[in-house]
Amino acid sequence: MQYVKKLLKARGLTSALFLVALFLVVGAINPSFLTPGNISACFNTSVVYTLVAVGMAFTLFIGEIDVSVGANIGLVAAVVGTLLRDGQPLVVACGAGILIGAVIGLINAWGVAIMKAPSLIFTLGVNGVLRGVLYVYTNGAWVENLPKDFKDFSAVTAVGDLTVYYCVTILVVICIHLLLTRTKRGRYFHAVGDNAQGATLVGLPTMQTKVLAYVICGVMAAVAGIIFASRIGFVTPQSGNGYEMKAIAACVLGGVSLLGGVGSVVGSAIGAVIMASISYLLVFMGFSSNYDNAITGIILIIVVVGDALIQHRSIVKNRRARLMARVSDGTTAADADAEKGGDAA
Amino acid sequence: MMEKVKKFMARGNTSWNMLLVALLVLEFVVFGIANDRFLRPALLFTSINDNLPTFMLSLFVTLVMVTGGIDIQVSSLVGLTSITIGVAWQDFGLPIWGAVGVAFLLVTLCGAFSGFLIAYCRVQAMVVTLGGSFLYSGMALLVSTLSKTESYLGISGFPEDFRFLGTYDVGGVIPIQILIYALMLVVAFILLHKTKYGRRVVLTGVNQSAAEYSGINTRRVIMSTYVLSAIAAAIAGTVVTSYLGTSRSDLGGDLTMDVITAVVLGGTLNTGGKGSIIGTALASFLIAFLRFGLPLCFDVSTQYLNIPVGILLVAVIVGRTATSGSGLLPWLRSLLPGKSSERASTSGK
Repeated sequence: MQYVKKLLKARGLTSALFLVALFLVVGAINPSFLTPGNISACFNTSVVYTLVAVGMAFTLFIGEIDVSVGANIGLVAAVVGTLLRDGQPLVVACGAGILIGAVIGLINAWGVAIMKAPSLIFTLGVNGVLRGVLYVYTNGAWVENLPKDFKDFSAVTAVGDLTVYYCVTILVVICIHLLLTRTKRGRYFHAVGDNAQGATLVGLPTMQTKVLAYVICGVMAAVAGIIFASRIGFVTPQSGNGYEMKAIAACVLGGVSLLGGVGSVVGSAIGAVIMASISYLLVFMGFSSNYDNAITGIILIIVVVGDALIQHRSIVKNRRARLMARVSDGTTAADADAEKGGDAA
Repeated sequence: MMEKVKKFMARGNTSWNMLLVALLVLEFVVFGIANDRFLRPALLFTSINDNLPTFMLSLFVTLVMVTGGIDIQVSSLVGLTSITIGVAWQDFGLPIWGAVGVAFLLVTLCGAFSGFLIAYCRVQAMVVTLGGSFLYSGMALLVSTLSKTESYLGISGFPEDFRFLGTYDVGGVIPIQILIYALMLVVAFILLHKTKYGRRVVLTGVNQSAAEYSGINTRRVIMSTYVLSAIAAAIAGTVVTSYLGTSRSDLGGDLTMDVITAVVLGGTLNTGGKGSIIGTALASFLIAFLRFGLPLCFDVSTQYLNIPVGILLVAVIVGRTATSGSGLLPWLRSLLPGKSSERASTSGK
């Protein structure tokens, strides 16, 4: 068990090492990549993914999933975009956007936590509804002519070549990570995801935790939507499409388990950087961006399969060790092996 | 006769199928009254044609979901089939049916690969098929770059004997691809509800360990369902390529939501162990006619159609989970004339 625990703790670290290795490999193939500007660009492009992935991580921690974030981003970006275009102050626009995100989170929470609907299917339906609402709201047209200040702010740098957005995002991620690991309430998310019934039995507010996770996910997606509008500068009715899948992939790359209870927000933030920089890295490796999806898929599959095999092996190994300890006097190793085979199946 | 019909319906989930039939009838009545053009066979067949990939995929994704898995990669396999046929035929000079064969082989292998990872490496189906959807749509894009035709144009100009698969009307009325769908429906129905294999699929979904202990090779069963859904995607990709007359790498890109909606609406439990092919078919028709009827009869823009479909999915899933066990289903059963106690006793399965 010690080994498993250690492994699980190191999951965020492995993805960080993977990211560094990725950068070094690309740097070895094309040395011109290894400049602060290029590496910062990888981080800067990942800001929207990072926010969505961190929000998504909360729903994955509690053992559920939220695939409505894509439409959430699009809707919030469109609403914030139109409000700003029509001359509303930034605070009002952002407030409205975050409110929408929170409401979407509450709707999902109602369906999943209170009505106990399967989260994948419920949020898939919400995604469809939101996408439709986005069409109704924008009338199918693009939202353009956003204020120049709003667009230009996305390029303002804070530390070195890192943008203000990314620095703030990183600070937020670190704060969330500390809250999750150092406070009692923060630990609830993993506890609920690991064993919901057990968490209820020891007196944790399971329902409340689930609702909170979905609201956080909705709000994070809303913030991502605002930054999306600022970075891209226009919003189409298809904006945000596919972000849900990329966010899930980022979380998985960062060591978050879809079974719940395992992973960290730092891991998912690193996973988001990997996801976002693949297309950027491909350019430096001399591939066309056509390889983007295929490489993403291959990396994702290799990571999850490797993870599953390592975990399975360590479980079998631990089980064998336990059995051997139990049967060390008297019974033969053959019995232990037989039992192990049965357990493995 | 009545007994036979009831027995037939009891294959899946009687009252649920009844409800779907009632909703379908309601759709026909409402849309028919609103605009009698809705009831013209030619138009109805067109609407079915447009949704045929969803219909075909959802049949075999039902099998996957009965085992407790999920398959979100089938829609990317449709595009992969389509572009492989086009490139193999146009740029590699294969005869058209040879190209179709190559595409089938490739897509089946893709399904087998994902199925292998899910069944034998014990990775969650959701994650593998998510990776698969990236990988196979990426592969489709790469295949399209092998062609001298720009990928956004699509490859067209297929020979007549291939085009007939999507354009020929049997007896001048029924499009041939609907017959292909009907054949797939029968095959899926027999597979899941009439064969030993189907029982194994259901048992694996109910309790994999128990199924394993009772001598079922559950891993092979699980892997086989992904292969079957990939083959369905290959058929759908071939038919839609023939119907549209162009081969593109992004065909079928956004079918995932419709397929899952159809399967879940059809009464298949996403946790596995229970599902009905008839239910899936009825549900996919329900969605297709909703998507076809609302714009035709009530002038709803096609871009807004995600709202009613999404609401349908959300309402059904909430309604069913909120009332599972002792709520909606027994209540619906009690609405049906007679036999309520007998049906209730067989409903646990």
